[in-house]
Amino acid sequence: MSMIRFIFRRILYSVFVLLGLSIVIFIIARIMPGDPARMSVGARAPQWVVDRIREQMHLNEPLVMQYFYWVSDAAQGDFGLSLITQRQVTDDIKEFLPASIELAFYAALIASTLGIGLGILSARYKDTWVDNLGRIISYAGVVTPSYIFAILFILLFGFALKWFPVIGRLSDDVVTPRIITGLVSIDALIQGQFHTFLDSIWHIALPALALAMGSIAQAARITRSSMADNMNKDYIAAARALGIKEREIMGRFLLKPSLIPTISILGLDIASILSVAFLVESIFNWPGLARYGMNAMLYKDLNAISAVILVFGAAFALMNIIVDIIIAQLDPRIRLRSSRSD
Amino acid sequence: MSKINQKPLLLTLVMIISLFLTQCAPKATPVSQSTTEENAPAVSESQEEAPATEAAQEGTAAKRVLRVTFSWPNRIDPAVGNDYASSSSLLNLYDSLIFPNAQGGVDPWLAESWTISEDGKTYTFKLRQDVKFHDGTPLKASDVVFSYDRLKNIGEGYAYLVTAGVVSVTAPDDYTVEITLEAPTALFLPSLTRLYVLNEKLVRENTKAEGPYGENGDYAKEWLQTNDAGSGAYKVKEFPLEQYLLMEKNTDWWGTFAANAPDEVRFIGTTEAVTVRSLMEKKELEISDQWQSFEAYEALEKIQDVDIAVLPSMTTFYYMVNNKKAPTDDVHCRRAMSYAFDYDAAVSLEWPGTKQTVGPIPASLAGHDDSIVPYKRDLDKAKEELAQCKYASELDKYPIELHWVAEVPDEEKWALLFQSNMAEIGMKVEITKVPWLSMVENTSKLETSPSIATIYVSSDLPEAGLMLKQKYHSSTNGTWQQNEWLQDSALDSAIDEALATLDDAERYAKYSAIQKQLVDNAVSLWLYDQVEKRAVRSCVDFPAARNETSMLMGYYFFAANIGVNCP
Repeated sequence: MSMIRFIFRRILYSVFVLLGLSIVIFIIARIMPGDPARMSVGARAPQWVVDRIREQMHLNEPLVMQYFYWVSDAAQGDFGLSLITQRQVTDDIKEFLPASIELAFYAALIASTLGIGLGILSARYKDTWVDNLGRIISYAGVVTPSYIFAILFILLFGFALKWFPVIGRLSDDVVTPRIITGLVSIDALIQGQFHTFLDSIWHIALPALALAMGSIAQAARITRSSMADNMNKDYIAAARALGIKEREIMGRFLLKPSLIPTISILGLDIASILSVAFLVESIFNWPGLARYGMNAMLYKDLNAISAVILVFGAAFALMNIIVDIIIAQLDPRIRLRSSRSD
Repeated sequence: MSKINQKPLLLTLVMIISLFLTQCAPKATPVSQSTTEENAPAVSESQEEAPATEAAQEGTAAKRVLRVTFSWPNRIDPAVGNDYASSSSLLNLYDSLIFPNAQGGVDPWLAESWTISEDGKTYTFKLRQDVKFHDGTPLKASDVVFSYDRLKNIGEGYAYLVTAGVVSVTAPDDYTVEITLEAPTALFLPSLTRLYVLNEKLVRENTKAEGPYGENGDYAKEWLQTNDAGSGAYKVKEFPLEQYLLMEKNTDWWGTFAANAPDEVRFIGTTEAVTVRSLMEKKELEISDQWQSFEAYEALEKIQDVDIAVLPSMTTFYYMVNNKKAPTDDVHCRRAMSYAFDYDAAVSLEWPGTKQTVGPIPASLAGHDDSIVPYKRDLDKAKEELAQCKYASELDKYPIELHWVAEVPDEEKWALLFQSNMAEIGMKVEITKVPWLSMVENTSKLETSPSIATIYVSSDLPEAGLMLKQKYHSSTNGTWQQNEWLQDSALDSAIDEALATLDDAERYAKYSAIQKQLVDNAVSLWLYDQVEKRAVRSCVDFPAARNETSMLMGYYFFAANIGVNCP
């Protein structure tokens, strides 16, 4: 019961955070230079067309009224019309968000597997060449932006070795599976199209790896240092003294508490992958929401900008809640503290 | 050093290798284009839709595919799109009454013939009777009237071009269209190349009742974003927005396809240098976009069987000088700048084949005066002119504020060249990198317009008069196309009068006088006529590279005229 209250309270906080975010974004988007209506129809369109769009978007009304219209529509799931695609922003989000989620999902999978794995190896073989190699990889990953990895991977695996495709979600000659979740690989699996599944994994491998590199490095560093800290604690020494096998100590007693900081960081990293992926999405011509959001900013597509940022904000809030729940499960002290404060 | 247990290490290595192999697995299975036989017939629709695995097993011959990268977005609604990708798509999906030719004129297309009334105000077009839309509906005059009305009511895309000065468009019978103008204009006939004809029945069927166009609801705007209602040589097969537009050959098209014309055309929405280069290297791209950097083209040219096609364009790189702001409101200061600038150095910074602009408009436009002598660097003359400028003694008080577009990083090279050239005659130039949105905002008002804005401007039609109007007529004040703020009513009248002259020789003579006047007043600095650079695989028969295609934006990519012979 206390856990339900805990989740409920987190959700309530998130609603306030998103409301605040919506005000900030709404104002920032509107003080950017340029008339969005004119931007959407070009310099040569007659003024009456611009005026019609301004009227449709309530741009001639005071900012407070504009915000009121926007919030009341958004509350009903209507984010208005996109000036770039000329469709409902909600439809655009439905189309582009799954591609971003798919990318973030595989990036998260790679980041957590390789990151934590590398961290464990580094901690286990602390101060050996394995640890040193892990540290070099970690530092390189932390200081290099994901788009640099994207370019390097394309040049190496796409251009020079020609092992991986460089654009798109599927090969030209592979039929897109019927949309169920919007995640091509998952849809292909659900429909039993194994070849399509493999093809989609083949396409997502490079962009997901490029996006995951930073998180791999972060996760590896934090897992290593956390495990190294805990390794010197008395209960580990006691476990060793009791003759418990090293593998069991590592897996059962050391890894679980050491994962708490890693999961906190990974959770935020995964949420940020969604929003920071715009360059990687552009390089791989990936039809994701970050790229859509970037184009929206370039064309001052007000409705799209506000909606996309709100979606990213919601993703952050959601990931925070998930991370809190996982940590509460891993660490009974947090659970207890939370139930006491109730 | 502690002893390392090898087991977990080995296990990790095995896992990584297995993962890697799994990811590589499909490489062996896709239907490769290399299985195509040189003259293989187009595959049937049912084969196209068959899953790739089946196709691979049955050994289906691959199609002829033309893949081109473009800057996105791509708007394929004829009443909305008017940029490069959109124009290139529209002319493949839709037919127009007439078609632009390589000589700058127009040829019959949907209209077999036309007559012009004596007063030059009424045009009567006779339509072909064998044209069908992609759904099989015959194309009639009422569809032309509907397409015009739709374009006019929506008012976006090429509406400003097509509907300007048109009083009425009517259909006296099923195959006759009559268009009446307010006054005769030389721009009308070429502007009709942008009236793309839609299938009224199909558009009505897909119209949403609710929308901003009254009884026409949303005019099927939403549906037409990803579908076509045309009769053109190609039809939409797939259009995942943000990714690519895939079009397939319309085998029932009334026109004639070039030998080896592509079965499928894929316009890809990316201009990322590394992506374009990799696609070209992997032979997954036939023609690149025109937005690659100088260095990127050099790299592309090194790829085997890839050449850089240098195509003429209707674009000039303008240094738009503010004629109303000190010190550039004095003609002598403007002339001093014109003589001080090193045009040869500026041209040398561009791709080989680029030429200095002669006069105030691109040389490729009909009515351009080739006899004009452009400004050349002459520091003595520059100093002479500067001495006559009323600000000569107090230049320090009036620095030249130059804004260049942040999204086009190459522009900084010319800005720095300009700054150093002007320093030689004692003019101080302050360079500012400005995002495009701010540039649009700044040039919208005289008070915020900089001394110089550096912008590429293209003509919408291959006609000198239109470019003169776009660039220097008072009607474009407040748009990014004119930072000069000439506000000269005599010049406006001269441009309008020239455009209303239907006789070519007479009209060109009037254009010539205007061009000379603008050059004499040094209203802008004209750097060079831009050439359109595209990396093209040598297996593509690209008529544009031989100057056999109209320069009108998009027509280089009329796929029915392009041959694809790639293995």
